[in-house]
Amino acid sequence: MNEVILDCLGEACPVPLVKAQNKIAEMNIGDILIVQIDHSCAMKNLPEWARKDGHNVEVEEVDDGEWEVIIEKLK
Amino acid sequence: MAREKQVEHYDVVIIGGGPGGLSAAIYTGRARLKTILIEKALIGGLATYTNEIANYPGFPEEPKGEHITNLMKKQAQNMGVDFKLTAVKSVDLTGEEKIVETFRNKYIAKTVIIATGGRPRVTGGLNEENFLFDKGISFCATCDAAANTDKHVVVIGSGDAAIEEGMFLTKFASKVTVSVMHDEGIMDCNEIAKAAALSNPKMEFVWNSVVHGFEGEEHLERVILKNVKTDELIPVSCDNCFEFIGYIPNTELFEGQIKLTNRGYIPVNEKKETNIPGVFAVGDVTDKWLRQVATAVGDGAIAGTAAEKHIAEEEIFHEKIMQKDKVGMIYLYNAIDADSRAFLSEIETIENSFNKALVVNRVDIYKSTGIAEKLNVSTFPSIVITKDGKVAETIMDLSSDSIRNAINKLS
Repeated sequence: MNEVILDCLGEACPVPLVKAQNKIAEMNIGDILIVQIDHSCAMKNLPEWARKDGHNVEVEEVDDGEWEVIIEKLK
Repeated sequence: MAREKQVEHYDVVIIGGGPGGLSAAIYTGRARLKTILIEKALIGGLATYTNEIANYPGFPEEPKGEHITNLMKKQAQNMGVDFKLTAVKSVDLTGEEKIVETFRNKYIAKTVIIATGGRPRVTGGLNEENFLFDKGISFCATCDAAANTDKHVVVIGSGDAAIEEGMFLTKFASKVTVSVMHDEGIMDCNEIAKAAALSNPKMEFVWNSVVHGFEGEEHLERVILKNVKTDELIPVSCDNCFEFIGYIPNTELFEGQIKLTNRGYIPVNEKKETNIPGVFAVGDVTDKWLRQVATAVGDGAIAGTAAEKHIAEEEIFHEKIMQKDKVGMIYLYNAIDADSRAFLSEIETIENSFNKALVVNRVDIYKSTGIAEKLNVSTFPSIVITKDGKVAETIMDLSSDSIRNAINKLS
């Protein structure tokens, strides 16, 4: 099982979402994608999309205004 | 293949990051309990869905709900509370150690505070699931009203939320049709809202009606209402539909473990305790009369404090009161009762006469009967004699001789 880190720091919506969607399409079920973001809008739309798509999601605030969205691909 | 979950120990796990959970976190954090708050979406809960909160004391500027809950979060963080934004997958609350699992972690806690709130109730009409949220059925006028400028919308319900939100919608929409279950002129909302709604030229009412179903290609085009008296179907063409028919508590995770009301809410006592020791519940998820930010915050304060007391009592109970080294004598009394206080000198005499062979604990039950309940004692004063950390005898008829005899039997 792979763990992939996607650096989206400094990137505004919808770039992190689109990058994450493209990346997860290449990954296998059970793999983990960690998206690093610092735009709060991505904090909303990224987990929302991942949940709707049926993946496991966790958001970790690593620093003030900086988050990691951890997505486990489930299908 | 399942990944190995990381195990972490906490004094308090709070499930849900609305005002109730945040307030509990502030209290447990301040009591220096190791606390984590787990929220499945965004911190703030349902309060963040409202555009302005005008009745939360201390905020006369009518801020967004989010503004208030962000400040609560900051306050909890200052108290050292950890936050985790992910969904809880399962819980096992029945044991003395409470287990809360997310997809990457297994949390083991001494206490759990449930603050999971609720979500909008849906009508259950035909094809409803095809049009939820962005496809024509909304639950938040504040969020979606502007998108309905010059459109025709249908509102389901006649409670305060339905009528007040419906009135708000008339500022944008060209027409608001309200489906009301009751006879003409009867509504569930307050009288002021009712009078205003009935005289609003943009509002129309379909009395004695409920939702039968929803129709449309991609997006909602028609709501099919049904007359509850004649069963006649009434198609209403519209652009969007707003449902305001109440909320459902988020308690599915706890079914079979926590006692729930027949509507799924969690009944709690004055201390926000559920039927399981060490598990508390606060805010909208509980069976209560008024669901507001102000009442949720009060609940959180109570549960946070009660959790702290519970943990302290557990520690004292296991380490001190039920000690295994020697024969023990536990005196349970009410300090405001003069006779019970007077008997303390007799307790001291007995303690001294056994020299160091006896461990004596004096428990004042005036503030909390938690320890007495664990010992199954409900009349005071009483004495419990223990050996090897187990209850050997409970004495309710207190006399110096009967106490001495009970101790001598075990020594």
